[in-house]
Amino acid sequence: MNKNKVKNLVLDHIIEILLILLVIVMAIASPNFLTVNNIMNILRNQALKGVIAFGMTMVIIAGQIDLSIGSQVALAGVIIARFCRDLPASGMSLTAACLLGILVAIIIAVLMGFIHAFAQHKFGMPAFIVTLATLNAMYGLAGMICGGFPIANVFPQWFLNIGVGRVAVVPVPAIILIVVFLIAHFVMTYTTTGRSIYAIGGNTEAARLSGIRVFKTKIVVFASVQVMCVLSAIMHSAQVASGSYSFGKGWEVDVISSVVVGGTSMAGGIGKPWGTLMGVLFMGVVINAMTILNVDIYAQYVVRGCIMAFAVLMATFQSKAKA
Amino acid sequence: MSVLRTEKISKQYPGCLALDQVTASFESGKVNALLGKNGSGKSTLVKCFAGAIQPTSGSFYLDDKELHFASTGEANAQGFATVYQEMSLVPSLTVAENIFLGRMPKKGVLIDWKKANADAAKLLDKMGVSINPKEIVSRLSMWQCQVVEITKAMSYNPRVLMLDEPTSSLATNEVESLFGVIRELKKQDIIIIYISHKLHEVPQITDTITVLRDGQLIGKVNTADVTNADIVNMMFGETQIRALPDDVRPQEEVVLEVKDLCRKDKFRDVSFSLRKGEVLGIAGMLGAGRTELLKSIFGADPYDSGQIFVNGEEVPRNASLVDRKKLGLGLTPENRKIEGLILIHSIRDNLCYASMDKTADGWLENRGRRAAAAEKQVKELEIKIPDINAPISSLSGGNQQKVVVGNWLNTEPQIMLYDEPSRGIDVNAKQQIFEIMWAQAKKGISTIFVSSELEELLEVCHRIIILKEGRIIGEVTPDEVNINQLYALSMGDKTNE
Repeated sequence: MNKNKVKNLVLDHIIEILLILLVIVMAIASPNFLTVNNIMNILRNQALKGVIAFGMTMVIIAGQIDLSIGSQVALAGVIIARFCRDLPASGMSLTAACLLGILVAIIIAVLMGFIHAFAQHKFGMPAFIVTLATLNAMYGLAGMICGGFPIANVFPQWFLNIGVGRVAVVPVPAIILIVVFLIAHFVMTYTTTGRSIYAIGGNTEAARLSGIRVFKTKIVVFASVQVMCVLSAIMHSAQVASGSYSFGKGWEVDVISSVVVGGTSMAGGIGKPWGTLMGVLFMGVVINAMTILNVDIYAQYVVRGCIMAFAVLMATFQSKAKA
Repeated sequence: MSVLRTEKISKQYPGCLALDQVTASFESGKVNALLGKNGSGKSTLVKCFAGAIQPTSGSFYLDDKELHFASTGEANAQGFATVYQEMSLVPSLTVAENIFLGRMPKKGVLIDWKKANADAAKLLDKMGVSINPKEIVSRLSMWQCQVVEITKAMSYNPRVLMLDEPTSSLATNEVESLFGVIRELKKQDIIIIYISHKLHEVPQITDTITVLRDGQLIGKVNTADVTNADIVNMMFGETQIRALPDDVRPQEEVVLEVKDLCRKDKFRDVSFSLRKGEVLGIAGMLGAGRTELLKSIFGADPYDSGQIFVNGEEVPRNASLVDRKKLGLGLTPENRKIEGLILIHSIRDNLCYASMDKTADGWLENRGRRAAAAEKQVKELEIKIPDINAPISSLSGGNQQKVVVGNWLNTEPQIMLYDEPSRGIDVNAKQQIFEIMWAQAKKGISTIFVSSELEELLEVCHRIIILKEGRIIGEVTPDEVNINQLYALSMGDKTNE
């Protein structure tokens, strides 16, 4: 009985244990690893995809998927950049133009989330296909809006600070990452919406017959992940001081990896924002470690792929071991 | 002519003797009905013949040759073929591919399509039907699928063909077409065992009737010699029906009134009323529209016309399930694992999904209140659990069913709809579920109870309405009828009282 408890405890916290082990190994291997500066770098680098990962966690727990996130990052980035470039010419202040751009980007993101939920729920189209379609469409839209070239040096200073600023030693994106985690954790644990997300992911029909609003809940999760893409786009644009259609390309792989490594089940119904935070940090540390150790960039992709496969293998093993 | 004979065949399951020294025989060239209510042992016997299970003692013989099957493969090799009621065809493949699934004729490494189609055509021809072997199975009608299924079984040249509820998914006019095929099969020298719960089909298609009850052989008769009433008597025997407790009495006040409710192809012109604290049963055969009716009243499925009144106020037709939940309606669905529970979640969560809005403060969870609601049901319904955080899948069927019920009782419902709550749970658990219904009735909760087990309806309900092909064809009280009469009524067999 006690042995079983220990076994389950280890199985439940496998990602935390691996993360700690990895940090210890790296701390011994390189004196440059365990420095405040490096840790802050990891957090800042992971923030962009990390905030999306929390939205994706909700989507996956609800039993759905969103592959279009990368294109939404691009789309939101170029929309805000266009507003900042074009509106001040007609007399609007740069700050107002920028805020308006952000607002429009958020509205479009919510709309896209609604379209995804509508197509999946009302027409029974697989979310995989729906969001694959909008991945293409939004990529094209982003290219049309920016004219195929990055829109650079148009943002106000306060906007740039969202990407590169620091509060004391902590980068602003790292703070945003933690705040988003706390919100996601709060929503999933302490609200009826969160409970509903788990329920529809666990068994949609049982949830429906229990009087849970399935469609409304799907809209919330699909819209949340898209809005997180806008937040990510803001940080990304601010860091590179431009907006471009090429932002976010291929991010869906890294984002879904972090979620899965964090223990969220692709079958839906199971998962935690805490796990995703661990997944995001784990992937960050792995990438950082490989960079410090001078691992070839292509080899890094091989390692990342292997980690994702390993995580899924672990999850399968975990559910079997517990049964 | 060949004979399949069993001698004192018994099957002991832990705590249950499913077959008790059954000695029976089935002849070739005839359609032999094997009848019995749920749990009578007829499926167990068929499983022994199919090699799916092995008898504990006793033996069976085909033409005096004793047979032992360690697996279904061995049974097949000895010429025993079974057609199960669940379709086992691959809908996206052609008829010929389905018939020769896994053993398509080949030319070298390539599939010999010409031969496959020609062979399939020959087999189908023998059945006396014209089905194109190149047709995709999903485009066939239900009875044609059933025929393809039988053709597939026949392609192994069986000596014994077992048909398990072959008409259960067929429409009335399709049944006759299938019977044509079965009559054609009779001309071949094979033993056909026909299992059905549709009693009215039995005289049409079978030649002999073998009846099991509680694992024992009750008798074998020639179909021509008996009436339906005789068969029902053999199936049910003298049943002792326990009476409803005296203190569970309906009050005068009508809480639910259904007027002329219609849903295309499901049910028509259904009208009834339900009083406060009343337990109303709905009897009817499979496919009579019982589940569909409950789901429409509950708002889980739409309906085309008609009115529903709760406490005298009309419920708008477009009122959602969520709206109806607020009016005090609750439903425990027919299939608890697929529709009733979230198997990967904990017992506590499963007890609190329906009542989520009630236990929360607006959109904020109140974890204390949620935990208390779960604990309350565990205690009141006497749900046996290892730990309230354990996954629901760790519980027995009876306790799982109690969780489904508890999930709804937490919403403090006024009208509870139970769809087959006793399916797949043991006798004690059944009794406990009934006692829960009565306890709730005493508190003034009204109940609609759907069950395929007619004894249960007689035992639990104040009043029973009978549904047949989507229409109400009668209403009885348990003291007016016995089980045989209720069975005959549900079959729509008015001549047989």
